[in-house]
Amino acid sequence: MEDNAYKSESMHDGIPKKTLLEAVVDFFKKDLVQYIVKRILMFIPTLLLISILVFFVIQLPPGDYVSAHIAALASEGEFVDADYAASLRADYGLDLPIHEQYFKWIKDIIWTPTDSTYYRLYGSHHNWKYSFAYGRDVWDVVDDRLGLTIAVTAIIMLFQYVVSLPIAVYASTHQYSVGDYISSIIGFLGAAIPNFILAIVLMYLSYKWTGNANVGLFSQEMLQNGIHLYNFGDFLKRMIIPIIVIGTSGTCGIIRSVRAQMLDEVARQYTLTARAKGVPERTIVMKYCFRAAINPTVSGLGGVLSSLFSGSTVTAMVLNMQIQGPVLFKALQAQDMYLAGAIVMVQAVLVVIGILFSDIALAFLDPRIRYSGGGR
Amino acid sequence: MWKKKQKTNEDYYLASQWTLMGRKLKKHKLAKLSMLILLLLYLGALFADFLAPYSLDEFDALYKDSAPSKIHFVHEGEFIGPYIYKLEKNIDRTTFTVTITEDTSEYYKIRFFVHGTEYKILGLIPCDLHLFGVDEGSNGGTGAKIMLFGTDALGRDIFSRVLLGSRISLTIPFASAVISFFLGVTIGSISGYFGGAIDIVIQRIIEVIGAVPQIPLWMALSAAIPPGISTVKMYFYITIILSFINWTGMARVVRGKFLSLKNEDYVMAARLSGVSTWKIIWKHLVPGFMSYLIVSITLGIPGSIVGETSMSYLGLGIKSPATSWGVLLQEASSVTDVASNPHKLIPIIFVTITVLAFNFLGDGIRDAADPYK
Amino acid sequence: MFHIPIPIDAIPQTLSAVCRKEVKMNTENILEVKDLHVDIHMTEGLLTAVRGVNFEMKKGETLGLVGESGCGKSLTCKAILGINDKKCKSSGQILFDSEGLGKVDLLSLDQRGQEIRSIRGKEISMIFQEPMVAFSPMYTIGNQINEATRLHITKDKKKSKEISMEVMRKVGIANVEKRYNQYPHEFSGGMLQRALIAMALVCNPKMLIADEPTTALDVTIQAQILELMKELQKDFNMAILFITHDLGVVAKMCDRVAVMYLGKIVESADASEIYANPQHPYTRGLIGSVHKIGSKKEERLFSIEGTVPLAMNLPKACGFYDRCDVRIEGLCDRAEPELTEIAPGHKIACFNCPHEACRAQRAKVEAALNGKEADHV
Repeated sequence: MEDNAYKSESMHDGIPKKTLLEAVVDFFKKDLVQYIVKRILMFIPTLLLISILVFFVIQLPPGDYVSAHIAALASEGEFVDADYAASLRADYGLDLPIHEQYFKWIKDIIWTPTDSTYYRLYGSHHNWKYSFAYGRDVWDVVDDRLGLTIAVTAIIMLFQYVVSLPIAVYASTHQYSVGDYISSIIGFLGAAIPNFILAIVLMYLSYKWTGNANVGLFSQEMLQNGIHLYNFGDFLKRMIIPIIVIGTSGTCGIIRSVRAQMLDEVARQYTLTARAKGVPERTIVMKYCFRAAINPTVSGLGGVLSSLFSGSTVTAMVLNMQIQGPVLFKALQAQDMYLAGAIVMVQAVLVVIGILFSDIALAFLDPRIRYSGGGR
Repeated sequence: MWKKKQKTNEDYYLASQWTLMGRKLKKHKLAKLSMLILLLLYLGALFADFLAPYSLDEFDALYKDSAPSKIHFVHEGEFIGPYIYKLEKNIDRTTFTVTITEDTSEYYKIRFFVHGTEYKILGLIPCDLHLFGVDEGSNGGTGAKIMLFGTDALGRDIFSRVLLGSRISLTIPFASAVISFFLGVTIGSISGYFGGAIDIVIQRIIEVIGAVPQIPLWMALSAAIPPGISTVKMYFYITIILSFINWTGMARVVRGKFLSLKNEDYVMAARLSGVSTWKIIWKHLVPGFMSYLIVSITLGIPGSIVGETSMSYLGLGIKSPATSWGVLLQEASSVTDVASNPHKLIPIIFVTITVLAFNFLGDGIRDAADPYK
Repeated sequence: MFHIPIPIDAIPQTLSAVCRKEVKMNTENILEVKDLHVDIHMTEGLLTAVRGVNFEMKKGETLGLVGESGCGKSLTCKAILGINDKKCKSSGQILFDSEGLGKVDLLSLDQRGQEIRSIRGKEISMIFQEPMVAFSPMYTIGNQINEATRLHITKDKKKSKEISMEVMRKVGIANVEKRYNQYPHEFSGGMLQRALIAMALVCNPKMLIADEPTTALDVTIQAQILELMKELQKDFNMAILFITHDLGVVAKMCDRVAVMYLGKIVESADASEIYANPQHPYTRGLIGSVHKIGSKKEERLFSIEGTVPLAMNLPKACGFYDRCDVRIEGLCDRAEPELTEIAPGHKIACFNCPHEACRAQRAKVEAALNGKEADHV
């Protein structure tokens, strides 16, 4: 097991001048950069696979999109004749074999040319099809709530990490203390009780205590005038229950995981070495143990994001939050599959972006990842 | 004296992994309590027909939205044993408000092993014995109902519905966990054992399925369930949907373990002796981290419970005539409804206890399997 | 990271410095361990892993601490530095002749305080068995070595880096500029052990504790590392407490040897004396079990019967009773022998030893036991 030959080009003790080209090549040879480039490239096949999965889901319900559309129109009293139905079918390419349908769908989303009907009608190059449940263009419906969904998710995520990390570090360094036990118990309960049930219970309690069912993210006034500095406080107040409900299970999961990892790390040999060097305890905990312990937490960022979208979907319906969850539900009830598919796809893509960021953050954090090319 | 001490030490060193785990688990009080609770719950589900006084479709308009029956013991100064009163409707002639009060003229004793609605044991043997119920009143009247948990908007006994609903709420997650287990281990082992291109492709697929948020995906998949199908088929579809996503976690773990274990000497020895790949995977490699898999299954079940409950609550999962705890919770969705009828929140307690029990049990097994504690 | 300018823990330090009693030590010695006990609080009960250890180390000498796995060698050494687990409680005296604090009992210092941290890494350093896990994988080797330099020598960035690189050169790491910025996973085992030694020696400690530093390395690297350690000892003039279970290494490295069994020292003598004239049955067994070149092919490999018992709820008896081939029933299973000097520098704890001092001890103990019996009768 002799010395590994450290592969590097000219490395003399007297450093020679490099040309610009060599500097660029050098930059790309760096472990970290190579790793980042690799991860970004892998992003693309993942996106493709997601689109295939979503398309599969869209095709699942019995009957096709057009017949569902016709049925919806019929329930409102509008009747469609066979010719119109046939032309709709041709428009959506429903007569084509399934793989061609998929390519048509993807092509329409990525780039609808300027001379198409769609572009003339909506002025957009990305055709996500029409939602008959809402009577609007699909992307219009999705976009409507996209900003708020991202904002709410971001706030909850921030809350989760800000609360859970200090608690976890404390619990691990003061093992078996009262604080440790309390945080464990709260951790359990929070993770165990399903989101929407907690929502129902908290809603009921808040009603009992305050006398008004304080639901919905926006009051009437906010819906009319938008969020400004003066009603931001009200917005935050209304966010309390959603944050507790949706954020608790994630917080508890993070506390448990980080605490377990910290306990692992504190028992490792290198903490002993550091202690034997005379490094103070606090430095050992933060510099060595914590950085190693948050390794799985950082790589789990994407998973946290995914579960946040998941948890908020049903909770949003109970708490009457104006995010994407209730829209998805309505779309599914009406079997408006293009809209449903679009929402699922958008959320999945956001999660994958989150995974990408977490992988890059992990590479910065842990040098071993860059070296081995990532062992996901 | 020394020799005896050495012998008990040796017993300890030579005990099999399972004996050691069992011993450790017995010391874990919370895990034992959880096992007991889960046992009771599943037994309750098994004998639900017998334990519940009423069947799923029995209803009584008189009793709709009523609070849990009050059980009295002393009637007019005399101790009779547990009994209830029948409810009666009183319409105030002037204000036309309807009040429901107890009719204290007659009492109905709670009897055990009564004959009630017929059901079939295992779907085959007809029987009409119920653990408890009310028969005739003290004056020969009929029509009293014992509603331990109150009733829903249609006048159906929630206690019976919770018990009968537990059949679905407790078994679907279990079944889907088992399916996820086999799916996950198989795919994960193929991915880890063979490596290379197969591994990369499977890894991407796992990543994709893991990236899509679960409940939205479940909801979308449930739109595919055709309406108006039989209960059994619906059960089957939902189980499949739930397992569809859960296998990824297990597959990931199995793959990781396989990647590190496949280069062990005993695998090479097995291969050289001509053992088939399938056997190597299932007989040699998998038992090595069985304890971890058991923990994964146990801790994955709560997720499926929540999933099924969520889906049914939204009306996307179990539909009538079948029922599950999620369906029961549909009645508890509006604040005003819950405020006037807090008893409708009772199924929440059952869901929470079940989920907690599985969590504690899983934690206990994980601690017991940990060789470093 | 959390650097508080006012050393809050310095307040108790100055108080204790004022209150501290001056300890008496032999001027030749750098370390004197007196009656060291280490108790571990386990869920099953109290485990006394180290049951009264006594030894001394002279300045600049190498003492080898030999024993099977589980006899308490590591716990003893970690107790010296105070880096044992929270569950372990040490008692007794560990006298150290330090530069910063004078002659001091290390066990009297607050285990998390500033004073003992000024000794760790600076006056007493420790190197460990597995170099692969002794470094944190998150930081470069240079950063970790430099941490010791910056803690104890100088906070100046440039100077401390120079000092760290210099010591890396001294331990024989080639291409120091490149290696300084590399991570532990880019080093081989032998290189890592050199880096670990560098980290331990950068502050010129008076004493080095080496806990089986070569066990995890292959034989050729082992020889190199041992050579390196011998050279550095001469250069730095430091004492080395060398823990090992490998008698070959002991022969090469150590001036004196102490043999440990079940938490107690059973024999200590000069290295040459131990090999030539082992007195304790355990030592004799150890030396005998080393396979010698030239022995006959058909001879059975010698091994001591039995295994090390669990050190919990031990009865009052000689720890080696169960496996001893010269045990005296009625005596060795009812009392524990103490370390007695049978020749200058040669101590042993055994009732069966034929020397004067041991026979005297045996007689005294026998009398005491008979006396107790007589009381009962």
